[in-house]
Amino acid sequence: MSKAVNVNVHHVTRIEGHGNIVVNAKNGRIEKVQWQVPEAPRFFEAMVRGRSYDDIQIIVSRICGICSISHSLAATKAVEAAVGLDVSEQSDKIRLLMHYSEQLQSHVLHIGYLAVPDFFGVPSVVPLVAKAGDVVKTVIRLHRLANEWSDLIAGRTTHPVTLKPGGLTRIPSEEQLRDLQQKLKSCVPDLKVVVETVLSVAEHIPNFDRPTEYVSLKQNKPPAYTFYHGEIGSTDYSGTIPINKWKTVANEYVSDQSTAKWAKWHRDSYAVGALARFNNNGELLSPLAKDIAKKVGLKKGCSNPFMNTVAQLVECAHIVEGSIVLIDELLSRGLKQEKPSGTPRAGKASGCVEAPRGILFHEYEFDRKGRCMAADICIPTNQNHANIQKDFEKLVPQIIHEGEDAVRRKLEMLVRAYDPCVSCSTHLLDVTFVK
Amino acid sequence: MRRPIAVIGLGNTLMSDDGIGVHVVQRLSGLGDKYPSVEFIDAGTGGVSVLYIIEGRQKVIFIDCARMGEQPGLIKRFTLDQAGSNKILTGRTLHEADLLKVLDMAKKLCQLQGEVVIFGIEPDRISAGMELSKLLAERIDHYVSVICDELQ
Repeated sequence: MSKAVNVNVHHVTRIEGHGNIVVNAKNGRIEKVQWQVPEAPRFFEAMVRGRSYDDIQIIVSRICGICSISHSLAATKAVEAAVGLDVSEQSDKIRLLMHYSEQLQSHVLHIGYLAVPDFFGVPSVVPLVAKAGDVVKTVIRLHRLANEWSDLIAGRTTHPVTLKPGGLTRIPSEEQLRDLQQKLKSCVPDLKVVVETVLSVAEHIPNFDRPTEYVSLKQNKPPAYTFYHGEIGSTDYSGTIPINKWKTVANEYVSDQSTAKWAKWHRDSYAVGALARFNNNGELLSPLAKDIAKKVGLKKGCSNPFMNTVAQLVECAHIVEGSIVLIDELLSRGLKQEKPSGTPRAGKASGCVEAPRGILFHEYEFDRKGRCMAADICIPTNQNHANIQKDFEKLVPQIIHEGEDAVRRKLEMLVRAYDPCVSCSTHLLDVTFVK
Repeated sequence: MRRPIAVIGLGNTLMSDDGIGVHVVQRLSGLGDKYPSVEFIDAGTGGVSVLYIIEGRQKVIFIDCARMGEQPGLIKRFTLDQAGSNKILTGRTLHEADLLKVLDMAKKLCQLQGEVVIFGIEPDRISAGMELSKLLAERIDHYVSVICDELQ
């Protein structure tokens, strides 16, 4: 008797694209395995053309509500490099502190609201309240801290308003920084609760392995686990590539199964994100982050994509400890009121940061008046699409005998581990009224 | 201390009428002195970040673009018990957003204790662009006055 397995998870609503999972198999023979991404075209690049150099970071902050600080920072760095504006050491440090707030905000949400329910075998964070209410409360506390932190440094929770080419329009007071530092120190026990929770359900993390290339920022001078400075590094390449040459890394191409661009470098796909950062820079983590990595069994060279969530957890500790040190550095020098200044020149350059989901590139060209002539943005999720497809191709034959439900659940869980950003275009309500 | 009432504008200002909530709340922010107990917040496309913004408030008022089957440009007031969401979420990414589902989650997580009022505005044009459609742009004063009436 023939036995068919057909998984067709389609989530294409009228405007947003969410990514479809398609698996067709008959009698154990796999006919089709696809990660399809019907993403809207990248119209943001056209939108900034003709705009002034000091409007860009505000406009691109609206590309994504979860990664808005990352987009604004990558754009600001690119703009400054293109039009020739310098940034003070103080502004650079405060921007890094701003960047850390988004990493924590996004990681805590991803771990607490998407991944941990998976590990507990429940469909969302809501039923998790009954199973592990204290953990949910802990996640909410950490999320609140990260939001307050973004408010303080970026001017609001999402879509930062304090960034400006050449510096910042507003900085926190020393008292506010001391208060933030105290809160960061106090959140360490909460982080440990989340670690213990993940440890208690770690056996539910699928045991899957597919060696691939991992690409992230690498900082050599001084060596640091970086989210913000440095050049492009890879587990397949011993050197680093300057940011302005990012197109020789991403090698974007069009795949028949997707309207989003895909990327490849030394292999037919590469991965970006927390696991990529860990695999490139893990030895440079803060002490607590290293302890957590050891406790959860995360080692450099890990090629299980499901462990991306665990790498995010490790990074949370690094972010908290790194920020405590960063605030010490800022306070020891005393904060100075600085005014962004400088006259733009014509030029073209790229900027790069690690968004929570991986390395993010922005590139802009400006004329003599500082008007944007051209833009190019390469988001982490596009760089992960080919890698998700390759993961599917290896994972499906290993699990096809488990049946449709298990195949669907594990593939969805795999996609969740990457937390792709494929639906940031519109967010409108779609409602029916109760009669 | 947090102000007891929050007026929260949602949407993506890069997608024309999708950003109407943000445009209205930006206009309302200029009236801040008249409403000392009200905080006007441009929450953009922050999705689940509204969980934090609404915590501990006596009342939250949302302004958002909404497909309601009404005439384009119409503004309609409703509460959570009056509307159901037609949106399908994948649960695979933090980047999808549905206010009604986020608020339902907030209630179940005990993060939402106060009154919630939603003002939906039916879009005329949802497409790439930073400008509102002519229809909605011309009605923005009306939308502001509707929210001010709610605050009386």
